[in-house]
Amino acid sequence: MTTLTRQDLNFGQVVADILCEFLEVAIHLILYVREVYPSGIFQKRKKYNVPVQMSCHPELNQYIQDTLHCVKPLIEKNDAEKVVVVIMDKEHHPVERFVFEMSQPPLLSISSDTLLSHVEQLLRAFILKISVCDAVLNNNPPGCSFSVLVHTRDAATRNMEKVQVIKDFPWIVADEQEAHMQEPRLIPLKTMTSDIVKMQLYVEERAQKT
Amino acid sequence: ASDTSKEQAKYDLSSGSNKKVILLPCRNPPSRERVQLWLEARKQYESLQIGLL
Repeated sequence: MTTLTRQDLNFGQVVADILCEFLEVAIHLILYVREVYPSGIFQKRKKYNVPVQMSCHPELNQYIQDTLHCVKPLIEKNDAEKVVVVIMDKEHHPVERFVFEMSQPPLLSISSDTLLSHVEQLLRAFILKISVCDAVLNNNPPGCSFSVLVHTRDAATRNMEKVQVIKDFPWIVADEQEAHMQEPRLIPLKTMTSDIVKMQLYVEERAQKT
Repeated sequence: ASDTSKEQAKYDLSSGSNKKVILLPCRNPPSRERVQLWLEARKQYESLQIGLL
């Protein structure tokens, strides 16, 4: 068993890689489970040793990848407090918000075996919870769309700027209507604590969706 | 002096250096209609390919 220390690896980078890979799978699965897009564009794949549904629509896949590419530098520096997948109705009002709240605990050393197997096991549990979350949520109105929001600090946005320019994928500050929901129903889905990341996922659901 | 440092702290927060912000991409993802059209076109293409074989 190999023991890694802060000097051996850029832990922030490792965490960002792991979380962005996970968020990509999670976003695809949320879009499938909540029927934001036709089910015909999704194909069954195996991630974290469980079956998941991933889109095969090139433009959508590129959009999700570009989004996460811009978010990655914030996660790397522990500057992304929350990543939120918002599902909006035809009038662009949020009906559901899947909130991934994350932080990196202070770390002295970890074992590489623990890192890989334990984290994968924990993330698998998140995926399983997302895949069955429709059982605890009300149906969404037809014609919904989605967006991804990032809760960060003003100073941290500098970490994003270079990537935004490279990817031609600019970001703006969200307004109140996009960012918040009035008196939502809160549904906790999963919490994890590992050596490298703490994360919790909950859904905020609008009381009246139609 | 403590009043001055309080004022400074207030200024730092209000200046936005440590202010919480919520960001979202300028671009929108493809619409459901656009994706539906793509799906139908792909199905037509696949049935044509099968017909050619």
